[in-house]
Amino acid sequence: MNAVRAFGAFLYDFLVGDRPELFVGPIVALAVVALLVAAGVPSLGAGVLLAGLIIATAGFSLGLVLRRP
Amino acid sequence: MSSAALATLVATALASAVEFVEAFTIVLAVGVTRGWRSTLLGVAAGVAVLAILVVVFGTAIATFVPIELLRLVIGGLLVVFGLQWLTKAILRAGGAKPLHDEDGIYRSEVALLSSEPPVPASGMDWVSFTVAFKGVLLEGLEVAFIVVTFGASAGMLGTAALGAALAGLVVLVVAALVHRPLSRVPENTLKFVVGLMLVSFGTFWAGEGIGIEWPGEDAALVALLGIYLASSLVAVALVRRAIDARGVRAARRARVNPMS
Repeated sequence: MNAVRAFGAFLYDFLVGDRPELFVGPIVALAVVALLVAAGVPSLGAGVLLAGLIIATAGFSLGLVLRRP
Repeated sequence: MSSAALATLVATALASAVEFVEAFTIVLAVGVTRGWRSTLLGVAAGVAVLAILVVVFGTAIATFVPIELLRLVIGGLLVVFGLQWLTKAILRAGGAKPLHDEDGIYRSEVALLSSEPPVPASGMDWVSFTVAFKGVLLEGLEVAFIVVTFGASAGMLGTAALGAALAGLVVLVVAALVHRPLSRVPENTLKFVVGLMLVSFGTFWAGEGIGIEWPGEDAALVALLGIYLASSLVAVALVRRAIDARGVRAARRARVNPMS
């Protein structure tokens, strides 16, 4: 059980670490764009939106880091 | 070699080189401080575990997971992982975070090791073995992750592993020649480039996974790389400006209240 917990902690640190927004942001972006693609939005628009949301996630995260004292 | 294979080779080689340099700093500190025999056994054990992880997970993932699901999950993970590398590299390039200091890491590693029990006169030195093993394994896990994800998504596990092996060889040869921490490697530039590649490939594959049919197919990758590169360069400039403005404000405060 301890090994499972330790592996879980390692995985959390590896993928999420101290900036959870960089983990949640791309997942939300993919979910939103997947819904739009399923609703019939053209691929070009969906692709541009996906890249835009990922850039916005990076920008948001950088802003959070810079705001820290 | 196709352009996709070349991109896979370059991305895994660059990502691996960064981690190999960090692992080498630890190994050099252990070897110089406590001797090389047990240290090199620790390195060999670490490399063996990493190779097993790549072969087992890479083969299992590529064999049993449907390609669309694979590209969605792995593409998403590559974006997450790539953003971590890229934003850290942007913060370092903009002056908001100190650059990775291999000389400093080497010195602190040597200081830590000197407080350990003395090296036994004969037999295995488990301190050297453990520190070298952990160093190689922990730094190498990120390489294994990139090799497995990149290799499996592109259907080129062998090419990805070759890229990592080539990078390891180059770092080893350079390390043997200079025999001191590789502090002149442009580590942040490498992380910046690798972060860009991971985010671009991740977006491309995850996009395919959710049903996007990229216009121009593989050419869309180049467009994504260009968009992310331009955005990152703008971000570096903005971070630099924010740091400069913070410095000016601090200087003004110091002038107004010299005792603060």
